[in-house]
Amino acid sequence: MHTISWHSVELTLDECIKCNICTSYCPVAEVTDLFAGPKYSGPQAQRFRENGQPHSPDHSVDYCSGCRVCNDVCPTGVRIAEINAKARAQMVAEHGIPLRNRLLGRNELLGKAGSFAPHLANLALHNPVSRVLAEKVVGIAREAPLPRWSTEGTFSAWMKRTRHRRLRSDKKVVYFHGCATQYYEPFIGQAAVMVLEQNGYEVLVPPQNCCGLPMLSNGEFDAAERYHRGNVARLAGFGLAGYPIVGTSTSCTLTLKEEAPELLDKEDPGSQALKQATWDIFEWLRELHAEGQLSTDFRPLSPDEERLVLPYHAPCQYRAHRIGKPALEILSLIPGLDLRESHARCCGIAGTYGYKAEKYPVAMDVGRELFDFVAAQSGAEITACDSETCRWQLEHGTHLPSRHPIEFLAAAYGRYDLERRRAVE
Amino acid sequence: MTQLIVIGAGLTGLMAAHTAAQAGLQVRIIAKGMGANHWHAGTVDVLGYHPRDSRQPVRRPLESRDVLVAEQPGHPYARVSPEEMQAGLEAFTRLAQEAGLPHRGSDEPGRNLLLPSPVGAARPAFLAPEAQLAGELGRDEPMLIVGFQGLRDFYPQLVAENLGKQGVTARAAFLPLSLVTRERDRNHVQLAKLLDEPERVAGLGRALRGLVKPGERVGLPAILGFQRHREVLASLVEQVGAPIFEIPTLPPSVPGIRLHTALARRLEALGVRIETGMEVLGFHGEDGRVLWVETETAARPLKHRAERFLLATGGVLGGGFQSDHTGRIWEGIFHLPLTLPQERSRWFRPRFLDPAGQPVFQGGVPVNGNFQPVDPASGQPVFANLWAAGNTLAHADPIHERSLEGVAIVTGVAAVKAMVGDRAPANS
Ligand code: SF4
Ligand code: SF4
Repeated sequence: MHTISWHSVELTLDECIKCNICTSYCPVAEVTDLFAGPKYSGPQAQRFRENGQPHSPDHSVDYCSGCRVCNDVCPTGVRIAEINAKARAQMVAEHGIPLRNRLLGRNELLGKAGSFAPHLANLALHNPVSRVLAEKVVGIAREAPLPRWSTEGTFSAWMKRTRHRRLRSDKKVVYFHGCATQYYEPFIGQAAVMVLEQNGYEVLVPPQNCCGLPMLSNGEFDAAERYHRGNVARLAGFGLAGYPIVGTSTSCTLTLKEEAPELLDKEDPGSQALKQATWDIFEWLRELHAEGQLSTDFRPLSPDEERLVLPYHAPCQYRAHRIGKPALEILSLIPGLDLRESHARCCGIAGTYGYKAEKYPVAMDVGRELFDFVAAQSGAEITACDSETCRWQLEHGTHLPSRHPIEFLAAAYGRYDLERRRAVE
Repeated sequence: MTQLIVIGAGLTGLMAAHTAAQAGLQVRIIAKGMGANHWHAGTVDVLGYHPRDSRQPVRRPLESRDVLVAEQPGHPYARVSPEEMQAGLEAFTRLAQEAGLPHRGSDEPGRNLLLPSPVGAARPAFLAPEAQLAGELGRDEPMLIVGFQGLRDFYPQLVAENLGKQGVTARAAFLPLSLVTRERDRNHVQLAKLLDEPERVAGLGRALRGLVKPGERVGLPAILGFQRHREVLASLVEQVGAPIFEIPTLPPSVPGIRLHTALARRLEALGVRIETGMEVLGFHGEDGRVLWVETETAARPLKHRAERFLLATGGVLGGGFQSDHTGRIWEGIFHLPLTLPQERSRWFRPRFLDPAGQPVFQGGVPVNGNFQPVDPASGQPVFANLWAAGNTLAHADPIHERSLEGVAIVTGVAAVKAMVGDRAPANS
């Protein structure tokens, strides 16, 4: 059993001045009284968790979605969300993991399994009878926006298929696709490859596995550690050799940068090298642009003179990256794009949070702020968000299609079909 | 390249960024967290008490300013002329109006308002949001102070009793919190958001109508709506048929958060990006200029380059200064010289409520007449492209003087005007 150490978070605990600003912004505490809120469940309850206290004093911390609004607004820098994540891990250590959370944590395994016969898997998962069963038996909300397996093969298969067309160059970058791109949305990876190649980079996709985040957020630290070790073994060498490792999944890149090393107390050189080399793709493109190296050979995205109204929601993970909103900065370079920045705190889904039957209504109430924002943008027929589960939730809550910003960028380079979601080569 | 980076998203930072945007600069705000507005009453306190005589509230702050700066030539107010002070406050009033949260002062121009505090003490303020104006202690109508059973930190009996001791006729009443919510343990901000819903306001209005006697005015904890605050207030006044006012509560303060949110949205509409969660850890300077500051991220420091930088991180309370257990205090980003005592034993006077205030809250960054931090020995600017404003500045005691927002607004505006060469430097 992984022992839960409080080492890195307890340092910030004493900074709390009890101002309750965090509680005032927490989107979950606002819609339900099942959660005591960041100050109480975080720095306050933490006092009773340290020093070998036998039991975690506050079980409502399970309702924290991990959105990190609290960290962002806290004037003194308390790492509340991390305190809560560790508290959940301690609860798992005390009470064990429900089967449902085990399942939701096995994103990669599920992805792989379904990919053998995606049509069948989609049918098996997405029919009303099995959704009701899934809710009753394992507790996965029947309405929650679960993904569909790609029926055109995985992202790696596409890379292999198009091998002869891929750019060879001295400038190389490693792409971390993550499970969602690999099994459910290979076209996101295609768009990323198009953008990187447009800028003269050869894209390397070495073997890699799940970043481990789904397990971390369900408090399964042992399993997460195995996955993380695997990625360090396979990828840290590229970092040490000076290759940037970029990803389109804001949660995977966050896990490689910080979540895994911090929550698992990994200070080994391999984890550190991986951390230092990992970039969110737009964070990296922004650097490229700052150096004057980003191709700005854009064409407008709407055929006629009309501007394309695009509500953009930055996923919660950007808050944890602490890099601002690089996708917004880069998309704003595209002519004819009428970007509308969402200030909604969270879409509600928060990884796998909104899939859980008891949390689904909370997630939908949290998301209301965002859905209302989108509805208020007249002329908007599509939305953008960097994180996969957030996009699925956005589509679920707004009934409008949602795309990754990289798809818009690839399309603006004329190398991607936004409608059919595929590379144009 | 960005022309100005403002560090800090409190009132100082927001006003400075607004002034810069109006002067045509491309400006961005970065901040560690939310600004100190979140603790404040939402009023603008310019000068509530004269530091030498803290028993009687100041009546006319702009006039008392002259006395103050004569006694304390280093005070931030001494860096601005009376006209500039006036102009800064007017800039705020205009911005608040545009942001949909109008503020006004006493009916008698130039006078401080006296408003009830959360425990019913008299609180001098120069400008207040509309919702607080009917609480002016000098008005004749007797007060009905209404609290909610089960709401923490607001006790109407206490408020009424304390007001009574000051000669204000006031009585207290309770309403059930279930008028607003049936959920447990909601804080003021959450309640204010719930009251954005018209049905709840209608229920509250009915209940209040049953309590109020003819001729009374009604004081409530400041939870009257968030986004739709003005509509909520207007609708209550209409339903109840009496003047209604909010009493700011203990932090987190709804009027403070409303003000912050409204100003921030307005600035963003003017093209100013505000990025929180960005803690500045270091900077790079060359040839007497700051080239960039670096913020902490999940992986590696992020550089923020700009032509100019303005430090608006606040003082000891706002988080701009750091200290260690020995009593050493330093400015957290640029390690600017401070006028603060560097020994713990000299931070505080023996008496908690000493009429002379506490030394640790009075020091800060010394600046020249153009709001540039200076080396006290040479009097020369530390960096050619660095300015500082607000409660980072030395020689004020904003808590004691009740000048927090006044100093923030007036120096935030003046520092940017000095930066763009739009003012005659005041005598320093
Ligand atoms: S915002 Fe930060 S300092 Fe304030 S109560 Fe929350 S954790 Fe404590
Ligand atoms: S991470 Fe999000 S849900 Fe959890 S306490 Fe913080 S603000 Fe609330």
